[in-house]
Amino acid sequence: MSNTTEKALSLLRYLPRVCLANIRDNPGAKKKSRRGRAQHGGDYHGAGNKGSNQRQNFMRIGYETGNNPFYLRFPHEPYYKGHHLKRQYPPLSLLDLQKLIDTNRIDTSRPIDLVTILNTGLYKLFPDQHHFGVQLTDEGADIFAAKINLEVQWASEQVIAAVEKAGGVITTAYYDPHSLQAMVNTKSFFERGIPIPRRMMPPPDAIEYYSNPGNRGYLSDPEKISEERLVLAQKYGYTLPKLDSRILEMLNETKDPRQIFYGLHPGWVVNLKDKVILKPLEEELKEFYAL
Amino acid sequence: MLANITAKLRNCTCTARKYATSALSTTDNSTSTSIEPRTLTFPPKYQEPRQIWLESLDSIDQSKLGLLEIHPSVFAARPRIDVIHQNVSWQKMYRYVSYAHTKSRFEVRGGGRKPWPQKGLGRARHGSIRSPLWRGGGVIHGPKSPTPHFYMLPFYSRLLGLTSALSVKFAQDDLHIVDSLELPTEEKSYVEELVKERLWGPSVLFVDVNDVFPRSITIATDEIKHINIMPAYGLNVYSMMKHDTLVLTRAALDHIESKILEHLHKNDTRAVMAKFKVDQQ
Repeated sequence: MSNTTEKALSLLRYLPRVCLANIRDNPGAKKKSRRGRAQHGGDYHGAGNKGSNQRQNFMRIGYETGNNPFYLRFPHEPYYKGHHLKRQYPPLSLLDLQKLIDTNRIDTSRPIDLVTILNTGLYKLFPDQHHFGVQLTDEGADIFAAKINLEVQWASEQVIAAVEKAGGVITTAYYDPHSLQAMVNTKSFFERGIPIPRRMMPPPDAIEYYSNPGNRGYLSDPEKISEERLVLAQKYGYTLPKLDSRILEMLNETKDPRQIFYGLHPGWVVNLKDKVILKPLEEELKEFYAL
Repeated sequence: MLANITAKLRNCTCTARKYATSALSTTDNSTSTSIEPRTLTFPPKYQEPRQIWLESLDSIDQSKLGLLEIHPSVFAARPRIDVIHQNVSWQKMYRYVSYAHTKSRFEVRGGGRKPWPQKGLGRARHGSIRSPLWRGGGVIHGPKSPTPHFYMLPFYSRLLGLTSALSVKFAQDDLHIVDSLELPTEEKSYVEELVKERLWGPSVLFVDVNDVFPRSITIATDEIKHINIMPAYGLNVYSMMKHDTLVLTRAALDHIESKILEHLHKNDTRAVMAKFKVDQQ
């Protein structure tokens, strides 16, 4: 600790006892917001003299005293049409991810998905604000060196190259808002006692992205992905490292397109209190959840 | 201002030093062999662990059982007097509801009729006898009942308040650790004499880990208003500042230290702060 702490503590030994009578806030810490009168800051209080500024009769916003206002002068140009409905992918950089791994917040011996990243407490997602998952960005791509099985929702070509160059595997996968809500706070979801939902298929405008082997989409053909890995390695000029045989099983682990959590199937109910997993028995449910 | 006070105080000899609880040198811990040493969780990286005497309430005169190590992040933290003040004023204010009440001109009875015509009498114009200008009229912007003053101090200010208060108590030799709160008698005079003999100041706060206390101390301190007992979960900055001396049992020390260290080292800041966020959306 800094020397000032020691100084303050040794000073306290010679000072009268600190008690209710002699404690106070720092001088100037609290600012009183009061409208002073007369000599205590009276005058016009910043409103000036006479006219609209004093009497608050402001014109409505955009009104130009009779001119054709700017906001009506041009025909309709819908730059932001549908903007509020677009899918958002809050970014996480490779540098951040490497930092999370280096500070032991993420265990690389298991596949890493959105739940793992959210459980660090250092990445936040709000599905109700149209957040659809994590976007991995290429900052720190040069120093990324973790061999991981990673699943993100959006990744650029550079990011895919950086992860594969380090000897890892990356997948992009879509989660619908209901699945995301279950992933955001897993504990509170399990406490609700409802079955794990089925993951929905991506909407029509996202199908193309998630079935493209170039994006390592989870709906694309695995053989085409391994082709694309070689193509990308040639494009960026690195030799594709062979997957580490010791962790090959972990690196090859994938989720079903309907599955949300590793090791848990849709339709199961996780009882945290009794520490049991309840599985559906009825044929109709089994068929619905494709068990 | 502080410099002035310290200059004066430096001259006076400190007679209470022989009763000091914080051990300044480790050379004289001949008695420390008999007690179980403490292991500090989250071992401090940059500060030395502090040492404090483990005492006993078995006899009136000082009896030291040994030395204990205590964590510097809790008991030698930066003594933020301002944060202590913020905690104390928060503790006073959050439960305070002002019942002061005044009536506006429309709540005061009567005054609907114009007292006299606008013109022609040579008198000042008035529309109501309950106007704020009148005696017995309404009050402008007066206090309304009930006015709650509840607010929540941020979690980490509360935590810093606790570490600051404990550090101040320890730095000023007002913190004592005892093995248990069991007294040999249930006599009121025993506690009074003990406190007087050990120079623990008139007011003392005894803290144990649970809210079930030994019968002897509850009966002995029951009548004395300035000697109080409190469970560890009730420990707060206001009570620490109100009492001259804080006496913790060893179990309470373990409990308080582990709780504070746990909060100092966890990283779900947002979760603990979210509950009382003012502008929740």
